[in-house]
Amino acid sequence: MPRCLIVDDDAEIRALVADYLHRFGFSVLAVGDAAGLRVALQREPFEVLLLDLMLPDASGLELCRWLRKAHPMLPVLMLTAQGDPISRVLGLELGADDYIAKPFEPRELVARINAVLRRAGAARTTPATTGSVRFAGWLLDDTLRQLSSPDGVLVPLSNAEYRLLKAFTDHPGQVLGRERLLELTRSPGSAGGDTADRAIDLAVSRLRQKLGQGELIRTLRGSGYQFTAEVSR
Amino acid sequence: MRTMIKHLWSDTLAKRLFILMWVALVGSHLVAYTVAHGGSPPANGAAGAPPPGLPPLPSLPPMDLGGEPGPGGPPMGAPPPGPPPDGAPGGSAGGSGGPTLWLDYLTRAFVIALFAAFGARWLARPMRRLSAASRDLGETLARGAVPAEIDEAQGTVEVRQTAVVFNDMARRLHRQFDARGLVMASLSHDLRTPMTRLRMRLEMREDDAAGERVTQRCIADLREMDALIDGLLDALRDERAPEPRQPLDVHALVQALADDLAEQGHLIGVSGEPIVASAAPVALRRVLSNLLGNALRYAGQAQVEVRADGASVVVVIDDTGPGIPADQLEAVFEPFVRVETSRHRSSGGTGLGLHIARELTQRHGGQLTLANRAEGGLRATLRLPRD
Repeated sequence: MPRCLIVDDDAEIRALVADYLHRFGFSVLAVGDAAGLRVALQREPFEVLLLDLMLPDASGLELCRWLRKAHPMLPVLMLTAQGDPISRVLGLELGADDYIAKPFEPRELVARINAVLRRAGAARTTPATTGSVRFAGWLLDDTLRQLSSPDGVLVPLSNAEYRLLKAFTDHPGQVLGRERLLELTRSPGSAGGDTADRAIDLAVSRLRQKLGQGELIRTLRGSGYQFTAEVSR
Repeated sequence: MRTMIKHLWSDTLAKRLFILMWVALVGSHLVAYTVAHGGSPPANGAAGAPPPGLPPLPSLPPMDLGGEPGPGGPPMGAPPPGPPPDGAPGGSAGGSGGPTLWLDYLTRAFVIALFAAFGARWLARPMRRLSAASRDLGETLARGAVPAEIDEAQGTVEVRQTAVVFNDMARRLHRQFDARGLVMASLSHDLRTPMTRLRMRLEMREDDAAGERVTQRCIADLREMDALIDGLLDALRDERAPEPRQPLDVHALVQALADDLAEQGHLIGVSGEPIVASAAPVALRRVLSNLLGNALRYAGQAQVEVRADGASVVVVIDDTGPGIPADQLEAVFEPFVRVETSRHRSSGGTGLGLHIARELTQRHGGQLTLANRAEGGLRATLRLPRD
């Protein structure tokens, strides 16, 4: 049972989120401020931390910096009502493992927590998910979710395209079957099913159009897709 | 009394004007005399040469024009102030009535004009500083930066006093602009906290089918509120710190937005070729999603075309909705104006989408217009410079 620590200054949000996560098999402790967080972390270990960006006694960003030093192995998922790209970039640069804007879809919250836990469970051998990825001259900025072409033109991506490209760049050279791709790219909180299937098919063909030259995404008949470009971080 | 003396010493517009007129008149007399009378100093000036660099004594009477040349023959004192006029007749012209008179008058007129020209600039300089500062103020405030202060210890007393008042006003305005941003930021934060609670509660409800429908509608409402807050914050952010432009594939952006909406079950057709334009990514995304959102809200579907047109890129969004009465095509860009006859409140929307869209478009050098299509429905045309 993964232990989850919630830090949020709103008592009701704490209670509601704790209740909700409990249903998904988390054991949850909720505190209201930075002081509570420090005490809780001293008492027992946690697998994941949900941290509100605005706390009465500390800035979430500073706390995040402190956490990186004091508890480097604890994954941090930042919650915030400031959904702008700047705080997102800041939060991730300061060492948060993921970032979710209030009001979030509850299912998405669970999906993100699980993703963060999976990455932490892999003992952080898998590369960090944040930062920028380069392949064949292209640049995929993970925090801003932007793709730039080799000649510096911004090529906007739909959500499905972004998730797909992310899955490909996380698994370069591997053959990804359809089922595996669906699993990797399912939109958190979405019902899945037919629409998701179609979205992926569409996203593959659109991505091919956008990436244009060469055969960066190779179709292997019967077994799935392979991302052929070399990926560097 | 003391304040009066202090006042006399300080740099005032009145004093500048006084000095200017005095120097101009006395200087012109002196120069004109020197020119007209062959450079010989006036009679009473010969006693002691005037110290160099100081203006001549004010008691100089204009010399009798027909008078004899000054005693003592050739000039011996310091050269008279002012540049020796070129072509000035050397000594011999003295005493010959008519031409000397004209030369005298012309020189005076010229010297006074010269002083007046420089003096006017000298007088106006502090005022110009002030007006330049006021011009910059609006722009600085819009960027959210602290306005530059005017030097309160420079210029005439009148200008210094104005500078003090001006700086005070600039600071107050800056605080107010700041406060507006803060209010928006904290308002959005404070709205999103209860929205988060509401969203969590809706998720934890256990419902029958009818209740589930209500829940789903509530969730949709919450998403709309959230999108509205995002839109307002985007617009405010862009006003305070305009987003830098960068080359961007406009067609890919439209396609990506359409695909995202398609994933939610909406119908949007996109045609056109990849077109690169220099644009502000977040602002353009906001503009397009506001326009697409409108089309979906009132018509349930939209058809988008992206094409190049000379130095512009044009995005045309057509819908098959009820359109807008011709006399209100401009009014709908005003904040909170909605066309109630054809667009009922039940159709949602806040009356801010088009306003924000046009604001952002214009701020980035583009145009946004609406028109009713002959075949029914509304056409929104977005025109952006390609570079």
